Amino acid sequence: MSDSCVGLKMAEGEVEKMDPETEFLASKRRSGNEWEMFKENVRPLKRGRNVNLLNHALNSHTHNTLRKPLLQHRSKLIQAIHHYQGHDPLLPWLQCIKWVQEAFPPGGDSSGLVVIYEQCVRAFWHSERYKDDLRYLKVWLEYADNCFDADVIYAFLDANGIGKTHSDFYISYALHLESKNKFKAANQIFDLGISRNAEPVEKLKAAYRQFLARSMARPKAVDDSVEKLAPTRSFGTVLAKGENRDRAPLSTLNCDPSVKNDRTRAAPFSIYKDSVATGDAGTHQPDLSHSWLTLGARADRNKENNAIPGKWKSYKIPQRPGTRTGGATASAVIPVFVDEECQDLQSLKAEGVKSSSLKIRQEDDKDLKRETELLRKNPLRNFPQNSLPR
Amino acid sequence: MAARTVAKDIITLRGSAAIVSEFFGYAANSILYNRGVYPEESFVKVKKYGLPMLLTEDEGVKSFIANLTAQLSEWLEAGKLQRVVLVIMSKATGEVLERWNFSIETDSEVVDKGVSREKSDKEIMREIQAIMRQIASSITYLPCLDEPCVFDVLAYTDKDVAVPFTWTESDPKLIANPQMVKLHSFDTKIHKVDTLVSYKNDEWDEP
Repeated sequence: MSDSCVGLKMAEGEVEKMDPETEFLASKRRSGNEWEMFKENVRPLKRGRNVNLLNHALNSHTHNTLRKPLLQHRSKLIQAIHHYQGHDPLLPWLQCIKWVQEAFPPGGDSSGLVVIYEQCVRAFWHSERYKDDLRYLKVWLEYADNCFDADVIYAFLDANGIGKTHSDFYISYALHLESKNKFKAANQIFDLGISRNAEPVEKLKAAYRQFLARSMARPKAVDDSVEKLAPTRSFGTVLAKGENRDRAPLSTLNCDPSVKNDRTRAAPFSIYKDSVATGDAGTHQPDLSHSWLTLGARADRNKENNAIPGKWKSYKIPQRPGTRTGGATASAVIPVFVDEECQDLQSLKAEGVKSSSLKIRQEDDKDLKRETELLRKNPLRNFPQNSLPR
Repeated sequence: MAARTVAKDIITLRGSAAIVSEFFGYAANSILYNRGVYPEESFVKVKKYGLPMLLTEDEGVKSFIANLTAQLSEWLEAGKLQRVVLVIMSKATGEVLERWNFSIETDSEVVDKGVSREKSDKEIMREIQAIMRQIASSITYLPCLDEPCVFDVLAYTDKDVAVPFTWTESDPKLIANPQMVKLHSFDTKIHKVDTLVSYKNDEWDEP
């Protein structure tokens, strides 16, 4: 990649004023080392982090007393979104998102990030003004990064023309498809972006060249391209297939409900097909023929890992073909242990006045986690039915 | 017995220059690997400083770093090296994205009078190890380099040093308004090396 290996030498010339680095070193200021101590707990951010904020946040999360102000600040930012009167309503959202990303370095469920992303993208998806706003697109892409299966998100963006002028959209979309071994589809997305002159086109072309190089280097593979844009299935499907013929598979093996549903429910989904043709000319058509409702996220498929362990010898698994009593629902029953401090926190919040119109409620951690989990599985679950590609 | 232990911990200017220039070689390799400037496959693992370290197998980079460390070693022995900066730039635009700054303070008495100092190898290795660990974990705060990058090495020397054949004068390649993180230092008692990384904190929400 880099071929510039020319050594450069810079004589200490007539430099009167110190450059910021020398000044920083001379100042004897120290950068804390929390970032190194807790490095496993920090999710790298594309734009990088401010180390001082990072250190402060890491410190705060290790002490419960220090954590409260963080949570309070978060709700303050959320309220600021609600009360914003200015001319750029996306701005307070971005401020909130940026702050939460910095202040919750692990970015886990309790950060509420996924919920905030979702509410942000949902607040503006119909807004003409933000359609081509790179900042808005980036929120979508962050959201996509955080979901189990981002197919649905990219298809939605594609169908609604969100971010279609930016090469970032095509690069992320294509990389996503590539990561699922859909090379042909990825190739199409690159082509589409280039034909639409997405900006910056140089970046897009460079990414495309790299993609081509990678696909050349790739050992001969079965290219399952577009016709298989439906969520790829594995493991459970293979087992279930044979059984499908005579009877419905066991619930534990039925990791792929949508395969069946696609066929039986073909009619309701056909609504989504027609409008697409009016979109862009050319070969590309956003793939909308597949189910938007039953996404079959990873958690759906990997049921075996969620099942409650029990004695195998003494317990007989009830053989109830066709019913879907997933391990996931069962596991929800396990009572979650709540620390005393957290209980305090919850009651504190309950006391606080909840503005009903406030979009993000000051949910306690449990709600936040549940909502996050649901969104990860089905990113567009809160979108009105008719907003999905018409 | 006691005398022998003492003898082992003596460090000369030459020895110190060797340690420091070798450190630069490994540090540069490690940065190029960890920051993904070159593809992962072009590196091999070796054991050094009690850590698994990665060295490039790319012939071009290999000889570049070999020449670099040889030259640095020469300057270090003369006590004329003040700073070495590894700069990572965008290949497309040439924009400076990241600077790894190693500032060197040399004990001038050692250079002028040829005396030696005392410090055990083990202790120096431990200090270097801490820096290498930090380089590897810097991903926690550094921005992701999602475009092809190139690197350059800047050396700041005393003014009286002639520019070697393969080197050229350069501007300082600074980053405007950078984020800076000071990493650990190490000290051979002859050369003290301070490490700092500065980077462009991308404003994600700029329109």
